[in-house]
Amino acid sequence: MAKYNALGMIETFGLVFVLEAADAMVKAADVELVGYENTASGYISVLVAGDVAACQSAVDAGVKAVNDMDGNLYSSVVIASPHPDLYKITERYRLDKLLPYKD
Amino acid sequence: MRYYGEEALGMVETIGMVPALEACDKMLKAAVVELISYENVGSTLVTILVKGDVAACRASVDAGKRAAEQIGKVTAANVIPRPIRIIGDIVSCHDVDIY
Repeated sequence: MAKYNALGMIETFGLVFVLEAADAMVKAADVELVGYENTASGYISVLVAGDVAACQSAVDAGVKAVNDMDGNLYSSVVIASPHPDLYKITERYRLDKLLPYKD
Repeated sequence: MRYYGEEALGMVETIGMVPALEACDKMLKAAVVELISYENVGSTLVTILVKGDVAACRASVDAGKRAAEQIGKVTAANVIPRPIRIIGDIVSCHDVDIY
């Protein structure tokens, strides 16, 4: 993953809400969806990357989308200039690594 | 990063991934500590483990806990100043550099 200025993430209880959040986030600002993580027992998070302002508006839009459907939003955050070691964790949840295809 | 229990161990455990990543970022920025491992136990509990001096670990864990509490639930936070060696082996089972 290329180094981005900021990371934005949203965690919800259930896949339906996280998909809605991801859709709203990517449509709202110039961000790239870089990760998807399921901690089991229902909490699922999506991770976007881009400029700080873009991540902030993406997360705002995602939070609003989930709240509009009375969704179960657990947590959301924007991390500006993330510590380099953070990528050791987020790299594991890159979508292209998670996809079950060889090519 | 391989950890042999030769330095202090700091940890923060949260419910969910987002508070854990926020805690991790703030822990690494707050003091001179290194990320050893990250562990998702499967029942939504995610733990971030760092190593460094005792004071650095304390400052780091405090900062991580405070940051995570603002956006989610923290289930545990602790600093072990001088763990026995076997603790290092357990922690290294989830080494963040090996994937």
